[in-house]
Amino acid sequence: MLGAVNRILLGLAGLVLLAAGACLLTGSRPLGGRHAPLLTAEARRRYGHPEGWWWWVLLAALAVCVLLALWWLLAQLRRSRLPALPVDTGDGAFALLRGRTLEAAVAAEAGALDGVAGCKVALRGRRDSPALRIALELEPHAVPADALSGLADSVLTHVRTSAGLAELPAEARLEISSHHARRVT
Amino acid sequence: MTAPRRFRSARRIPAALTALAVLALAGLFLYDLAAVRAGRPAMRWRRELAGQLERQTPSDTAVLVAGALLALAGAVLLLLALAPGVRGLLPMRAEPGVRAGIRRKAAALVLRDRAMEVSGVRSVRVRMGRGRVGIRATSHFRELDDVRADLDAVLATGIEELGLAHPPRPRVRVRR
Repeated sequence: MLGAVNRILLGLAGLVLLAAGACLLTGSRPLGGRHAPLLTAEARRRYGHPEGWWWWVLLAALAVCVLLALWWLLAQLRRSRLPALPVDTGDGAFALLRGRTLEAAVAAEAGALDGVAGCKVALRGRRDSPALRIALELEPHAVPADALSGLADSVLTHVRTSAGLAELPAEARLEISSHHARRVT
Repeated sequence: MTAPRRFRSARRIPAALTALAVLALAGLFLYDLAAVRAGRPAMRWRRELAGQLERQTPSDTAVLVAGALLALAGAVLLLLALAPGVRGLLPMRAEPGVRAGIRRKAAALVLRDRAMEVSGVRSVRVRMGRGRVGIRATSHFRELDDVRADLDAVLATGIEELGLAHPPRPRVRVRR
């Protein structure tokens, strides 16, 4: 979601800059040609006098720009971790499962898998559509495909049934800390 | 077992930098224009800028350089907007409910460790690309062809066990 917004806004900014640069290089349409000054006396007369409506449009546009940029910047700083998750207890009541608890449980279970050296888990998304992000640190001689199928088959199935979730999409990133090569003789 | 979509970067850092630049620029102009409307003189840099704009034409070098820089910055931003990014993460075969990727460096380490287990191999360098993987081994005993055949077999299983969505083609070179 944030990624799509970022890419659209970055693309727009890129197009605007590219068009401005092309205009300056060719001296085309809004400018008066290759040998006309960038800011003509006529333009100053039309937009420069202090009573025109033009000023207010410019001020409003700049204010909108400032607000939009501020919102866009703050959106980058926000971390989308889910603090708690409602769990259906089956008797008509709901319990709240803390996000940290779920993360710790998944991390412990995944860390006990064969060939896994460490695991970090973050619960993200929204209450009605939670998602897991898992960073899996493998041991040097682990088989990545087996570690992944172990994660998918046992750990994630377990967390889905125990939290009573029909779906809990997960994104896993596998990593191995660098180590020196050892020769077997 | 369908091939999953590629990982796409959220582009947080370029977005934050662009937002900061827009914020600074728009804020500065907003402040200065509002000050002028309130009857105070414009800041000196803006009067100088207006003076320069009245004098310079698009055939001047300074204007051409500025235009080229603007166009270049725009092209970079467009590239950032369109390219998926996250080239360091190789997508793995989809398991139900998980989208997974393995770091390129991690995959290279796995293949290097596998190759080191072949007898006769003294050292290995693995260059993990996204479509192919280059393996350069030096051997200190055994026939080079035997070592190469063993390496091919070991690497084939090694690549299979990485569980990648698009297994890279290995290219093996063995030297003394």
